[in-house]
Amino acid sequence: MTTVSRSVGPLLEIQGLKTHFFTQDGTVRAVDGVSFQIGHAKTLGVVGESGCGKSITSLSVMRLIERPGKIVEGSIKLNGEDLLDKSDEEMRDIRGDQVSMIFQEPMTSLNPVFTCGEQISEAVQQHTAASRREGMDRAVEMLSLVGIPDAKRRAREYPHQLSGGMRQRVMIAMALSTDPDLLIADEPTTALDVTIQAQILELMRDLREKNRMAIMLITHDLGVVAEMVDEVVVMYAGKVVERGDVRTIFGNPHHPYTQGLLHSIPRLDERVDRLEVIKGTVPSPYNLPTGCLFKRRCPFRMPICDVAPPMRQIGEEHTSRCWLTPAGEAPEVGADPTPEEAEAAGEQLTVEPR
Amino acid sequence: MTTQPTATDMTGSETSSGQTSAERTVARGGVAAAPLLAVDDLVKHFEIRGGLMGISKLGAVRAVDGVSFTVTEGETLGLVGESGCGKTTLGKVILRLIPPTSGSVTFEGKPLFELNSRELKAARRDIQVVFQDPYASLNPRMSVGEIVGEGLYVHGMTNKREREAAVRDLLKRVGLNQQHIHRYPHEFSGGQRQRIGIARALALRPKFIVCDEPVSALDVSVQSQVLNLLSDLQDEFQLTYLFIAHNLAVVRHLSSRVGVMYLGKLAELAEADDLYENPRHPYTKALLSAIPIPDPTVRRERIVLKGDLPSPANPPSGCRFHTRCPMAQEICKVEEPPLRDIGGGHLSACHFAEDVTPLKERRAS
Repeated sequence: MTTVSRSVGPLLEIQGLKTHFFTQDGTVRAVDGVSFQIGHAKTLGVVGESGCGKSITSLSVMRLIERPGKIVEGSIKLNGEDLLDKSDEEMRDIRGDQVSMIFQEPMTSLNPVFTCGEQISEAVQQHTAASRREGMDRAVEMLSLVGIPDAKRRAREYPHQLSGGMRQRVMIAMALSTDPDLLIADEPTTALDVTIQAQILELMRDLREKNRMAIMLITHDLGVVAEMVDEVVVMYAGKVVERGDVRTIFGNPHHPYTQGLLHSIPRLDERVDRLEVIKGTVPSPYNLPTGCLFKRRCPFRMPICDVAPPMRQIGEEHTSRCWLTPAGEAPEVGADPTPEEAEAAGEQLTVEPR
Repeated sequence: MTTQPTATDMTGSETSSGQTSAERTVARGGVAAAPLLAVDDLVKHFEIRGGLMGISKLGAVRAVDGVSFTVTEGETLGLVGESGCGKTTLGKVILRLIPPTSGSVTFEGKPLFELNSRELKAARRDIQVVFQDPYASLNPRMSVGEIVGEGLYVHGMTNKREREAAVRDLLKRVGLNQQHIHRYPHEFSGGQRQRIGIARALALRPKFIVCDEPVSALDVSVQSQVLNLLSDLQDEFQLTYLFIAHNLAVVRHLSSRVGVMYLGKLAELAEADDLYENPRHPYTKALLSAIPIPDPTVRRERIVLKGDLPSPANPPSGCRFHTRCPMAQEICKVEEPPLRDIGGGHLSACHFAEDVTPLKERRAS
């Protein structure tokens, strides 16, 4: 069912997506003009800290945004068709069939009162003409595909009877049971121990090859990104700030935020005396700075940063939302802001590094 | 070189002045290798009860099952392991937050489990803790000043003005705005709350701090700020840390020695660099290999362990790791390997420790 429209063009194309939340305290622009594409059978990593909008972007693709949230602008094209034009019924058919999603916390995403087999079977029956029995057979087949030993018995068990790693495998089995073109994985291994994480990542790599499936991998773990993806999108405060091939992003990051992220993580293979830090904290969504959203924390801050930078071409297939030249230099000579100006722009609860 | 760390320099209300901390620094300057804390064959079992009336004993979860190590003054001992390995329970028993099943913990020569309540209260000034979850470990109904100052009050600083001055000083030292003394925890971000937790731990000028996953709830950019703060404070106050975490990279960054736990026991204990470059236990090696390196050009040998962690209520016979170990032999099923020194103070609990090879790594072109 997937080979119909594999013509030209990307599998998923998000253009100027804006998802805002209209709360009592004001409007939160959780996703504010995000654009990117994922090619067929490619893996894209979406990286950023909590609150950057990476999960809301993925929920927008699934059309699972609930009030007070709303997709206010943009387009999300999957196989050339805009998902934002679809009715709720049409979306129900697309979810699972063309796009599936796995979530961070498998316990809260599985229904505790149905067996694992019944839950997978339900998804299969929803999207194919399968009978209950065929659905169960498919469930057992999927469970053994994701490496669950004794799948027939496990299919009759309830989620609470399984370990965290097993539950995540059940989620993956369910997501893949209908053979989707795109799998959205939102922090799929964050709740798991590293040895179990290694098992799950290997499984995802394996299935990606077998099914020629594209993956949108959302994570804050840069190690997982380096290992799994072809292309990286870095998000900050609702916007994409840098985009490029995985080796470019890790080897030659342009945006000061990306650089800061890469330098501030302690590494297993390198020992440093002191970690570099990104000073301050992520700005409150109710009180975003004008101009560049990162300017208050940026070590390269320039006067021009009071004007919001667009995504600019840095190299082939490499863009960055920063005024610095592709070589990382200041674009033109200008006075730095005075300390008073910097102070006035500083947020209320900024923590100054000692 | 004979200066001894004594408990007497902790008396009085020195907490408000920076001078005393300087004095203490001098007093401790000459002390190098005295073990500050010694844990000996510590066991903590949680009974599983059930049956009619819920009183029959069905078994026990062997959370900590015979762990021994020492912590030297001024060092950071890291403790890593996956969930369920007993690392947090171990920390809680050392703090005497939960009673041990057997074994002993000696702090500055004093047996912690035998102290009466007055002696224990005095010892607790020297032993403090920073918890994992900065959202759950601060009382939402208390202001920052009350939270950080509570220990000072309990230990005799009853003068309100004096206490407030001490708290302001602490806030400054952990990088918080002193103006925020009257704010409540919900007004702070995760990283700032963790700083409040650290200020609280520092208030009584302790010698030893148990840090239980202090940065795992924080975002990457904030995590590095808190890690740097912890190492600055260690220098400033001559602190000794027991640093418990599941993130091996974070532990390596901060620790001088690292212990690896598996199912309630120490699998390996060695100098940090030695352990990471030369693991001598197959579990440590698998754990290290499982961590993704944030560099797409490096490909490391990956050892994928089969199966899940066995239940600590019913650990495997012999070596506890044998059910998942790629090197397991017959002997591993029957005989439990002791934690032994395989040279240079490198301890490993493996029958074949000498045969464990370093991880292979290569650069992808």
